[in-house]
Amino acid sequence: MRVAVVIGLLALGGLPLSASPSFAQAGDANAGKVVYGRRCVGCHGVKGDGKGAAAELLTPAPRDFTSGIYKIRSTANKIPTDKDLFDVITYGMPGTSMPPWSVLPEKDRWNLVAYVKSFTPEKFKEAPKKQGLPKEVASSAESIKRGKEMFEAIECNKCHGADGRADGPSRPELKDEWGQPIAPANLTKRWTFRGGASRVDIATRLATGILGTPMPSFIDSVEKPDDIWHVTNYIASLGPESPSYATLLTASAVKDAIPDDPNAEFWRKIPVQHVPLMGQVIVDPRNFNPAIDLVSVRAAWDDKEIAFQLTWDDPTLSQPDGKQVSADVIALQFPPSVGTGTERPYFLMGDTSDAVYQLRWEHGKGVVEATANGPGKIVPLEGSEATGKGVFQNGQYRVVIKRPLASKGASRLTFRPGVFTPIAFQAWDGGAGETGTKMSLTSWYYLRLEEPQSNRRFVIPPVVALMTLAAMLLVVRAANRRR
Amino acid sequence: MRKVIAAVAGLALVVGGVAMTGGTRTATAQGGGTIEAEVKYNGAAVIDKLKVNKDVEKCGTEAMIEKIVVGGTKGLANAVVSVAGAKGAATAKKASVDQHGCKFVPHVTAMTAGELELKNSDDILHNIHTYSTANPSINKAQPKFKKVMTEKFEKPEIIKLTCDVHSWMLGWVAVMPHPFFGVTDGNGVTKIENVPPGKQTVEVWHETLGKQTKEVEVKAGQTTKVAFEMKK
Repeated sequence: MRVAVVIGLLALGGLPLSASPSFAQAGDANAGKVVYGRRCVGCHGVKGDGKGAAAELLTPAPRDFTSGIYKIRSTANKIPTDKDLFDVITYGMPGTSMPPWSVLPEKDRWNLVAYVKSFTPEKFKEAPKKQGLPKEVASSAESIKRGKEMFEAIECNKCHGADGRADGPSRPELKDEWGQPIAPANLTKRWTFRGGASRVDIATRLATGILGTPMPSFIDSVEKPDDIWHVTNYIASLGPESPSYATLLTASAVKDAIPDDPNAEFWRKIPVQHVPLMGQVIVDPRNFNPAIDLVSVRAAWDDKEIAFQLTWDDPTLSQPDGKQVSADVIALQFPPSVGTGTERPYFLMGDTSDAVYQLRWEHGKGVVEATANGPGKIVPLEGSEATGKGVFQNGQYRVVIKRPLASKGASRLTFRPGVFTPIAFQAWDGGAGETGTKMSLTSWYYLRLEEPQSNRRFVIPPVVALMTLAAMLLVVRAANRRR
Repeated sequence: MRKVIAAVAGLALVVGGVAMTGGTRTATAQGGGTIEAEVKYNGAAVIDKLKVNKDVEKCGTEAMIEKIVVGGTKGLANAVVSVAGAKGAATAKKASVDQHGCKFVPHVTAMTAGELELKNSDDILHNIHTYSTANPSINKAQPKFKKVMTEKFEKPEIIKLTCDVHSWMLGWVAVMPHPFFGVTDGNGVTKIENVPPGKQTVEVWHETLGKQTKEVEVKAGQTTKVAFEMKK
């Protein structure tokens, strides 16, 4: 059968064999039901209504298959192709709880497609109508420039923000088809795009819109058809296709004075290191849907002090109201001292026997140094020497936290070059209701203060080279003499 | 035989439709009657207000969500009055909704199946997002340079219009299977002309207050008055 399909395609000639290994197959809904019962019911529910046991903890909510509304389509009408559904099963929906199911045999996935469709057979009576795209325009400086112009003309910023960080003025009002709040995509984080991060994926979403969400179709709403690609190229230029996360953090040794200003030119020269954050789900109340998933760290030190520039996206500058909105906070965590072994305090703010030392920056309050013996047991330290300055712009915080290298007393860490110092991060988006144990965090990372590079590296190698040359000349001379 | 009757009936309807657009007098002379409906609401107006955080130069600083608009004599505006079960050809006039001042103007549009013109006279981005079941629902961006879009609604139903950019924007399009309808004005009054004589059921629909029906006797060349009082 498969052979026949292949031969058929070849016979048609010129039909591109896509990079994807899978030809659309007619799945068996009954066989799909068995797989569904094993893999999908937990979230999507026995009836396919999206009310599985785990559903209440998930944002975005699992798809309700009985609605027949599918976000990711390559079609101009509401009906996704089998391949669209197959791809969502195979690759998952990045940025949501839907994982990629590429571990399942391909046959099982096609069977799942058939079963999922069987929840609303009436919706699939109409045939999918493929959405055509204008001829692809390769990315170039010119195309990106035009894309930015069009991005502004069609006002993508209304939801996605001026810099694409999901902080547009309409953000708080956005609701999905079911009346639930829905967040626009952060266009600088392509790896969280629900329908994929490739340029074709982006262009397709722009053209078709995303069904059941506020994202409209733009295929007829740009000035010229090519603009779909220009806007795509601009969006693709806003961030990498996938993030590169750091494993070991380095503080660069510098000679210049370290500026307090997070926007200072100085920080651009310091290498950036991306750290992923997870929701805190160990102690109550838990944070299953963390708002902050990434902190970008730059660190520098000189003979007097150490400084960290921390950058993260947050759609709102929160003004605490004592109810729904709390303060935006970020914390750097260290052990109070670095021992010789590998033992470290408990990463979740320490415990009763082993405290942690924290540098906490809060919007509107600045930096405090604190000791913690577990979540909620945070005691500010007297006579803080740490300073900090933060700026908020277009959905992004940039904060510089600074401290002298040497400690005052046993509660504070002394930073030493060449030592692997444990470091962890915690962050709170007060606007998303995060406070206390509702936070994003990391477990322990290591920070290494890069050894200062003395000027000897410019002196010793030439001296050695000269001496070697002299020695060689001597040998040559001696050899010549003997003859 | 049946075919012949259908053809004749169809022709009559077309003639009727053409005549209607030509002027009410001729139509009345041909034997239609007029229904004058007055819809009242014995409660207070419900207009939700919302502080606007964007596009204030176009939308104003305060948005109004007009859920129930009541006139001076307790007349209920924005109610669709129609003759239930009537049959008739489409009106020739293309229905039109403007997005103006971050509102759908008019708030309620009634039309026969066919094309609807969607205007954007605000010079900012709106998106037409419809909620419908019989017709395909649409969600299309209408940026500032796209002054007019045309959409087709083929099946009779009442469709909600929204804009996600400005969440307070709310409008309704009533797609009717016949041309015998009207939308009440600020005084709660509307007239339906050229209604076939005989017993007719008049139906009122309001977005918040629901539906009501009443039986009337329509006489050729005469105006039949019918009054409704809507309740919560």
